[in-house]
Amino acid sequence: MSVAELKERHIAATATVNALRERLKQRRQALLDTDVAGYARSHGKTAICFGSTDLVCCRTLQGHTGKVYSLDWTLERNRIVSASQDGRLIVWNALTSQKTHAIKLHCAWVMTCAFAPNGQSVACGGLDSACSIFNLNSQVDRDGNIPISRILTGHKGYVSSCQFVPDQETRLITSSGDQTCVLWDVTTGQRISVFGGEFPSGHTTDVLSVSINSSNSNMFVSGSCDATARLWDTRIASRAVRTYHGHEGDVNAVKFFPDGQRFGTGSNDGTCRLFDMRTGHQLQIYSQQHGNNDNDVPIATSIAFSISGRLLFAGYSNGDCYAWDTLVAEVVLNLGSLQNSHEGRISCLGLSADGSALCTGSWDKNLKIWMETVVLKLMVERMAFH
Amino acid sequence: MERLLKKMLPAGAPPLAVDSADYPFAIEYHGPPVPYDIPEVIPIEIGRIPVVPSLPSPGPLKKRSKIGRLAVDPAGASPTSVIENHTAMDRLDSVEVRSSGALGSAAFPDRSAELSDGIIDSSGAVGFKEVEGFDGSSEGIDSSGVLGFSGEVKEGEGFEGSWEGTGSSGVVGFSSEFKKGERLEGSPDDTVHGRVLTESALSSESEFRSSALGDDEALNPEAKRAVVVTFQDSARSSGPASLAIGLSPRGRRVKKEACYQCLKGSRFTEKEACLACDAKYCSGCVLWAMGSMPEGRKCVSCIGSSIMETKMEKLGKPSRMLKRLLSSLEVQQVMRSEMDCEANQLRPDDICVNEKKLTQEEMVLLQSCPCPPSKLKPGYYWYDKFSGFWGKQGHKPHKVISPNLNVGGNIMKNASNGNTGVLINGREITKVELRMLKWAGVQCAGKPHFWVNADGTYQEEGQKNIKGQIWGKPILKLLGPVLSLPIPSNPSNLSGEEVNNMVNRAVPDYLEQKTLRRLLLVGDQGSGTSTIFKQAKFLYGSVPFSEDERQDIKLVIQRNIYNYLGILLEGREWFEEESLTDKRKSKQFHSSGPENNGSDEHDMTEYYISPRLKAFSDWLLKIMASGNLEAVFPAATRVYAPLVEELWNAAAIQATYRRRNELRLLPSVASYFLEQVVDICRVEYEPSDMDILYADGITSSNGLACTDFFFPCLAGDGNGNDVDDHLDTLLIRYQLIRLHTKSLGEKCKWLDMFEDVRLVIFCVALSDYDEYFEDANGVGINKMMESKRLFESIVGHPALDQMDFLLILNKFDLLEQKIDMASLTLCEWFDDFNPVVSHNRPNNNNSRNISNGATMAQQAFHYIAVKFKKLFYSLTGRKLHVTLANGLDLDSVDAALRYAWEILKWEDERLAFGEAVDSTEPSSYSQ
Repeated sequence: MSVAELKERHIAATATVNALRERLKQRRQALLDTDVAGYARSHGKTAICFGSTDLVCCRTLQGHTGKVYSLDWTLERNRIVSASQDGRLIVWNALTSQKTHAIKLHCAWVMTCAFAPNGQSVACGGLDSACSIFNLNSQVDRDGNIPISRILTGHKGYVSSCQFVPDQETRLITSSGDQTCVLWDVTTGQRISVFGGEFPSGHTTDVLSVSINSSNSNMFVSGSCDATARLWDTRIASRAVRTYHGHEGDVNAVKFFPDGQRFGTGSNDGTCRLFDMRTGHQLQIYSQQHGNNDNDVPIATSIAFSISGRLLFAGYSNGDCYAWDTLVAEVVLNLGSLQNSHEGRISCLGLSADGSALCTGSWDKNLKIWMETVVLKLMVERMAFH
Repeated sequence: MERLLKKMLPAGAPPLAVDSADYPFAIEYHGPPVPYDIPEVIPIEIGRIPVVPSLPSPGPLKKRSKIGRLAVDPAGASPTSVIENHTAMDRLDSVEVRSSGALGSAAFPDRSAELSDGIIDSSGAVGFKEVEGFDGSSEGIDSSGVLGFSGEVKEGEGFEGSWEGTGSSGVVGFSSEFKKGERLEGSPDDTVHGRVLTESALSSESEFRSSALGDDEALNPEAKRAVVVTFQDSARSSGPASLAIGLSPRGRRVKKEACYQCLKGSRFTEKEACLACDAKYCSGCVLWAMGSMPEGRKCVSCIGSSIMETKMEKLGKPSRMLKRLLSSLEVQQVMRSEMDCEANQLRPDDICVNEKKLTQEEMVLLQSCPCPPSKLKPGYYWYDKFSGFWGKQGHKPHKVISPNLNVGGNIMKNASNGNTGVLINGREITKVELRMLKWAGVQCAGKPHFWVNADGTYQEEGQKNIKGQIWGKPILKLLGPVLSLPIPSNPSNLSGEEVNNMVNRAVPDYLEQKTLRRLLLVGDQGSGTSTIFKQAKFLYGSVPFSEDERQDIKLVIQRNIYNYLGILLEGREWFEEESLTDKRKSKQFHSSGPENNGSDEHDMTEYYISPRLKAFSDWLLKIMASGNLEAVFPAATRVYAPLVEELWNAAAIQATYRRRNELRLLPSVASYFLEQVVDICRVEYEPSDMDILYADGITSSNGLACTDFFFPCLAGDGNGNDVDDHLDTLLIRYQLIRLHTKSLGEKCKWLDMFEDVRLVIFCVALSDYDEYFEDANGVGINKMMESKRLFESIVGHPALDQMDFLLILNKFDLLEQKIDMASLTLCEWFDDFNPVVSHNRPNNNNSRNISNGATMAQQAFHYIAVKFKKLFYSLTGRKLHVTLANGLDLDSVDAALRYAWEILKWEDERLAFGEAVDSTEPSSYSQ
């Protein structure tokens, strides 16, 4: 078979695939008679009412001297690790807002950080294409720095996101600019499996984020610059379980819904979407109307679900941070318009494990912790009563 | 769909029909138990409160409110001065004020009923919905949530006061803020209508409440900085707040030694003071007042401001209280940030050396020298550069510090206020010093003028011969302390060389930002960025490559060599097949008979390899095809080294290698390594510097690589004839960051991480113009066009707006080689290249055109440079700096990087002196 013939066949096959994909899309459109919001409204659901006072910024964590790029909470709810452009990881005590550790990194261009499930070590990764693990209990060296306890090398592009597998202390999943996600064994530093890459069902460009299903830690989802999100089973590295189309820009953030049956995404196209894990359907799109100019649409940088799943917090590049009602797809609160809000792009956000507090990190170098004004509200209500 | 929706909410979650106001996403958290009654507000009847439409005499009031505003300096307003006129307060004795309510708001209606003319403007101090209606007159104060009250003071006595929330970033403040600002002023004129102003832009707490009043618009912009407020705080602040707002008739005076926040405690309670404003907080309040302490022990409002001089010595010394409150790790962190933070450092302007204020650089130099002045405090000093004597202005020498520092001005004759007439290095010495000199055996008759050097040798002015050593006599070591005169701490330290040897000293963190200049080196694949990076390490690094880095590069080289071998083996298969077909054809052509029994000899072509090697070759090709090469190597190196040797020596491979020009995939550097493949595959192989330079890439991961270096002085001007230059080269570290194009991500997504670089060095290989690569769809793309595309996207990136760019046109040697064979016009972008071709060229062997002095390659370089400059200008409207280099040539890379350095320096000067130095702009070609 000559090369020309092969090329011809390849082109024909590509065309077929695209046609099939298009048909699939149309079929999905046809089947998609409603979305979550439409259904909820038809059942008389209304958006939850959130006053501008129901969330307050109760802590500002100051100390970074560069843009904050990533944060993560521990499972025992009161500590936060944050990664910043100043080349430091800082571990905070969220209750007192004190720093417990400041870790100077070898490579200042860090993009992601994560707490291990036991809260004893943190991982970070960035443009050095490696994921570094620090044990917080290890002895500091002469300069007061915590030494790297393990470095995971093998990615051929930047490490954009990392997350420890919740129920396995020694497992970690990273996503990278080399189009792959990797499951690591932290103790040995070896790759257990590589997702994507040479396999045809992998992402076609940089992978930007991963989220592991909390109810079934074998499943994880990844979002990529190819505008898709893919679902993976760690036991089957060879192919993606499912590919989710829909976004029109880089998928910057993916996060599993608390029940583990669906997941949310945030994208460069300014929208957040909710996808169902099993059917592959897009359940809901969360987008604000903006001006006609496409360049003005703020991009969704990071998302998080409240513990019940009713609220979707999404951070945007213009400093807004919306709380979406996931049921009726309405913005119920904009944290960016509250007192003490961030002055720069919201780059990362996360809910504490018990769901009582939200932490946002921003390019204005600060992290802020938001809480519901329970005590305060009681007071207000009593006053109103009289 | 319905089931699906139902499942969206996990069991136990609130039902779907949640349309009430509270959606408890934080249901578990109820805040700490409140030890007191939650305040209740008695509703105000609007009708009962007379509202005064306007103030009878707003003028003086405004003035006073301003006075009140001035009194916000917490350091200045001592607690006793807070309430100046108790009589005014006493007048209110009769006024029944209920101040027991935590928020004291209940007092308002009562009081307002009784105060006749007093106007209470409480602007958003505490939000009470009921008061919303009172849009009081709020002259003089721009505040949020204005509540107005008016009433009559029975006896016609006015009282006036103003509470001012400083609008600063009060932590939790409320109470503390009130305390700071709280100031009652006795009204001089009894008939003047008093008023109480409470402005609060305090904590987010109160802001938040004022916004509850639907009053979002007038937020004090400063208050945006306000930070840490918690529920505990709100509860906490309510107590003191009652003090402030409730206006207790007894005039609860704040005790002088009380905590600034809770207003409790006495002089004996342990307190922590703010380093900047000296506000003192008790153990219960300190964490709320100081928050996360990013700059050490400072109130949140003081962050960024410099600390008090007297506190300088306390830096980094934690109190017992702090140790008790925080874990030792946290204390450590706070203390470190306290010491390292820039705002807490001595300001260079505060120090005068030889009657000249120091600059930042001089300050660094002074503090980082091997023998720095101890306990530097703001003040006036003199410094003898030659001997290293250091002392306070008007006093005898205090210490001998490192000599030869370029710090401050020239020493004055009367620097130490001596009157002996004897001069040392132009300074008249004191009597004590003279006595010391005499003890040292120096002849001091006739008021001589001495030159004393750093090592203690001295000579008389105008004479050449060294007369002796001052520090020679051991007795001086004893005498020094007796006369409280300094002696050099360690004579061996005092060589004149040490200043130049400062490259390795540690720079404190807070200075790093100022003295570190980042250069971003980026270019398309194969543009030679890694070579330039490695050359920079060779040029400026004291240890160019550490052992680890060498090992890493060794792995890269060993892996690559298998890659090259694989390409060769693949080529061999093609060639074998090709020659076999040729042979068969010729056989068929020559032998008419179909009988062919000599199959063995027939299959034996030049490219035949033994079955053992064939197996190895198949295995290697299979691994390469699956893309697992790096997973197998270099672990397999040890095993396969003998095989590789055998393979390389096989005639078939050598024959293939001779035809390497036909193998397009084989990079040009491959032959360099293949020639020494046998060595490389050995386990004990150590890459030479040359190998490192030629190796493809810097690290195995191909991630970002950065190296720090100082630009060493050029040999020519290293003699300090230009002081600034000298200082520059010593102080300013440069960091070269080399970034793989892939690392930037799609559409240069991560370029915004490099906002802080000073210069972008973009690399383009000149030889790219006739080379192509295949993209994912198999379409051939010209590499030069790809470089251009990358250049456009990087230049146009918003993060690099206004950034200076230096274009390095690399691989000039390759251009010279191929320009005569392949025309530049092969690249569509260069189709109007129209070089001046001289007619006498055929006579000239080295293709140098004598008539215009430029070779074809140079013309091509200039042409391409102009192309890029025009492109850059059209994108940014600014000027692009261009230089040419040859990555493998050390000197040309040095020249290119020095050009980058020149651009930065010129930029600094332009910033320092304005646009006046525009004319001194460096030439655009630095060849």
